[in-house]
Amino acid sequence: MSELKMIQKPGITHTQLVKYAGASGDFNPIHTVVPVGEKAGLDGVIAHGMLIMGMAGEALAEWFPRKDLRKFKVRFSKMTRPGEKLTIEGRATGEKWEDDEKRLTGEVSVKNEAGEQKLSGRFEVKI
Amino acid sequence: MESLLKEDVRLKPFRFTIERGKIREFAMAIGDSNPIYYDAGTARKEGYRDIPIPPTFPTAIEMWGGLDFETLIKLFGLDPLKVLHGGQEYRYFGEICAGDTVTCDTKLISSFEKRNLRFITIGIHYKNSDGKDVLYSESTIIERGGSKNE
Repeated sequence: MSELKMIQKPGITHTQLVKYAGASGDFNPIHTVVPVGEKAGLDGVIAHGMLIMGMAGEALAEWFPRKDLRKFKVRFSKMTRPGEKLTIEGRATGEKWEDDEKRLTGEVSVKNEAGEQKLSGRFEVKI
Repeated sequence: MESLLKEDVRLKPFRFTIERGKIREFAMAIGDSNPIYYDAGTARKEGYRDIPIPPTFPTAIEMWGGLDFETLIKLFGLDPLKVLHGGQEYRYFGEICAGDTVTCDTKLISSFEKRNLRFITIGIHYKNSDGKDVLYSESTIIERGGSKNE
C-alpha cells in the first residue's frame, strides 16, 4: 500500500547520546563512555535503542496526529554508532477495527546510509 | 536473585509527574522539532489539553521514576556490559500531557534463555490520577552470553 514520506535525520553525534542519556535517564555507560563500550567489545559507544525508536516516533507524529497513535512496537536489529545518518521509512499496510474504531496499520523502519536496518516496527493509528 | 525471577514478580508501583521542560528536553535530544512538544498554545490549538508526551517518552518516566538501568541490572543479576534492548512496545489508551501524574505498575512477563541469550520481558501499566488506564509499555531486554552461572 502507500509509502509515507521518508524522513532524514542529521548524523548522530556522541554529544547527542549524552543528551539522550540525560533526557531519558538511561545512564548505561555503554552509550556514553568510550572505554566502557570498548570493554564490552563494541568498538566504542553505541546509541540507545530508544533514541532510534524515538526517531521513528518522531516520524509517526509527522505522518499522523500524535493523539491518534494507538500501538507502536519495534524490534532492534543492529547497533548504531556516532557518525551514522539515519532515515525513517514507513508504509501503510491495511485497515482494521479495534475498540470500536477504525485503524490504519503500518510498518516503520530505520536504516543507515548503507541501507542497514536498525529497527523494524509496526504501528496502528486511529483513522 | 533467582527468586525474583519467579512468575508474577511485581516491583513497587511508582508515581511520576510529567513536566513541560522534561518533554522539551526529551524531544530536543531526539532532534524532534514538532512544535506540539515545545509550545502549549500550539498543542492546545491541535486539540491537546497541554503539551503531549512524545510516543517514546514513557522510557523517561520509567528510567527517572525508578526502573533505571542500575536497578534492572541488580534486580535481574545481569552483566551490564552484555545487556541490550531487544524490543519495545507501547499501547496508547489515553492522552498523557504535561501536568499529569501517572502511576506505573511493573510486572515480569517472562524470563527465559535461548541459544545462549537470556530474554527478560517486563510490562508496565500506566494509570492517570483518575485511575484510568492510559498506557501499556512492554520492554524486552537481552543479555548476551546467557547467565553468569555458566
